[in-house]
Amino acid sequence: MSNTESVVAPFIDVADNILKPVLETPTSIDISNVSVSFKTSKGIYTAVKDINLTVKKGEIISLIGHSGCGKSTLMSTISGMIKPTQGEVYANNKKVMKPGPDRGIVFQNYSLLPWMSVYKNIYEAIDSVLHDLNRSEKKELVEDNLKMVNLWDHKDKLPGQLSGGMKQRVAIARAFAINPAILLLDEPFGALDALTKSSMHVELLKLWNLDNREKTIVMVTHDIEEAIFLSDRVVVMNTGPAATIKEIVDVPLSRPRNKKDIIHSSEYMTIHDRLLNLLIDKFSIDDIKDIRKTA
Amino acid sequence: MIVCTFLKSEIMESINNIFSLKSLKSVLYFLGSMILLGGIWELISRITNNEVPSPSNTLSVFKEVMQNPFQDDPDYKGIGTKLLSSLSRVGIGFGLGSLVAIPLGLIMGSSKPVMNIFNPIVQILRPVSPLAWFPLGLAIFQDSPKASIFMIFVCALWPTVINTAVGASSISQDHKNVGKAFGFSTWKYITKIMLPFTLPHIVTGLRLSIGVAWMVIVAGEMLSGGMGLGYFVWEEGFNGGSVAKILVAIIIIGVVGLLLDRCFTQLQKRFTYSI
Repeated sequence: MSNTESVVAPFIDVADNILKPVLETPTSIDISNVSVSFKTSKGIYTAVKDINLTVKKGEIISLIGHSGCGKSTLMSTISGMIKPTQGEVYANNKKVMKPGPDRGIVFQNYSLLPWMSVYKNIYEAIDSVLHDLNRSEKKELVEDNLKMVNLWDHKDKLPGQLSGGMKQRVAIARAFAINPAILLLDEPFGALDALTKSSMHVELLKLWNLDNREKTIVMVTHDIEEAIFLSDRVVVMNTGPAATIKEIVDVPLSRPRNKKDIIHSSEYMTIHDRLLNLLIDKFSIDDIKDIRKTA
Repeated sequence: MIVCTFLKSEIMESINNIFSLKSLKSVLYFLGSMILLGGIWELISRITNNEVPSPSNTLSVFKEVMQNPFQDDPDYKGIGTKLLSSLSRVGIGFGLGSLVAIPLGLIMGSSKPVMNIFNPIVQILRPVSPLAWFPLGLAIFQDSPKASIFMIFVCALWPTVINTAVGASSISQDHKNVGKAFGFSTWKYITKIMLPFTLPHIVTGLRLSIGVAWMVIVAGEMLSGGMGLGYFVWEEGFNGGSVAKILVAIIIIGVVGLLLDRCFTQLQKRFTYSI
């Protein structure tokens, strides 16, 4: 009996290894035991502490929390803009040491270069990352990506001549153009009005769909509706300093999601209430009464 | 093609500007300002009993001086020739100064240690009167045209160095992040982020520098003698006993200075961008 087992064992291992990628979605981002501290004039300030988070390939994750809770800091450890003081971040199975083209970033304030046309802004990013392509291939990529966000007609304008929503679409097109496996969005729609915001959400999901839902998206936001509509999981963070993950809320709503329909579903309401409770429990009227009593 | 249409629209725009109400207004203001200047001048001339020549007298001297402006004989050079020789020395000194000042300013602005090392030197040398450099240049080069170029070179450095350094050091984190996120090479960072961002600051520096250079050349030529507008003021004006010639020279110097400044203002407008 034990003899046959030892004979079969190596074959089982081989079979497991073959089946592994089929059965399990590969991990895209792995954050383990990450803490980030900054030296300030008042001493050491710890922004986030002991963060553990694994994101699967093709997943959309939202980081949500109050201002200054360190959600942007946490995301910067994935992009490589900030080095964790402790712990490690792996992206696409490689340890993150610095920013890289496998992780596209859309910044909060768009960060387009104001002295270049929309076209040039995207071209320079492609030229820098995909330097093996020839000129016409690069040009084609710029055209494809600008058409994708419906801004081809505005290609010769300077960023200063565009509205906020258009700038954000350029920034998204730029991030998509270098075809990163991971897309990092830092409060991407924070500065937009509600209507533009909604259409940008749909736009983003469209792009994600076009790409066979293979891109992993991590987004920082403080908009609960936005987080639910877009994500598979919502990571709620505690208020800093030394912020930790408070809870991870699953969003099992089926895709494609329709904004008008889902907001009336009971599932949506449950998730919405849960998130609302996690975020604003401290500010209920009862608490204020309690504070008055103790004072 | 693009350049062509660009130029076309530029020209159309300037034509439109010339005939616009706004430009008509500014022309009227300019005329008013000139009339005021002429009035004060006339008044001073009357008070001093024509010791200071009146505008009309000066005008006739001006016509006389302008008779053959580009005369270029070994024994006498016309005012145009003198002006050109002054301008060429300013151009050379200013050009060389900019070639040193812009790269130095960029390096100072992008590196704290370099800034800390060079800043005290700049701060000590900057307030030195440009004229003090002239004898030093004369001692080095044993040649007065070269010495005046040297003087222009030194005094044209500082405004450009300082403005460029301030510009390069104030590149916002957003722009730097773009370079980081998309892995820009050093060359791409310099040409696509650093230089375009700093350009308006550089042009401001150049504008201040050319102003200083133009102011200084006249004084330098009075010291060195034998050439340029400064020599004209001193030799033909003061020593020749013709105050009108001094006034003519002052007007020419002023107008040329204004034109130089306008050129750089245009450059400044070209390189500014909205965010």
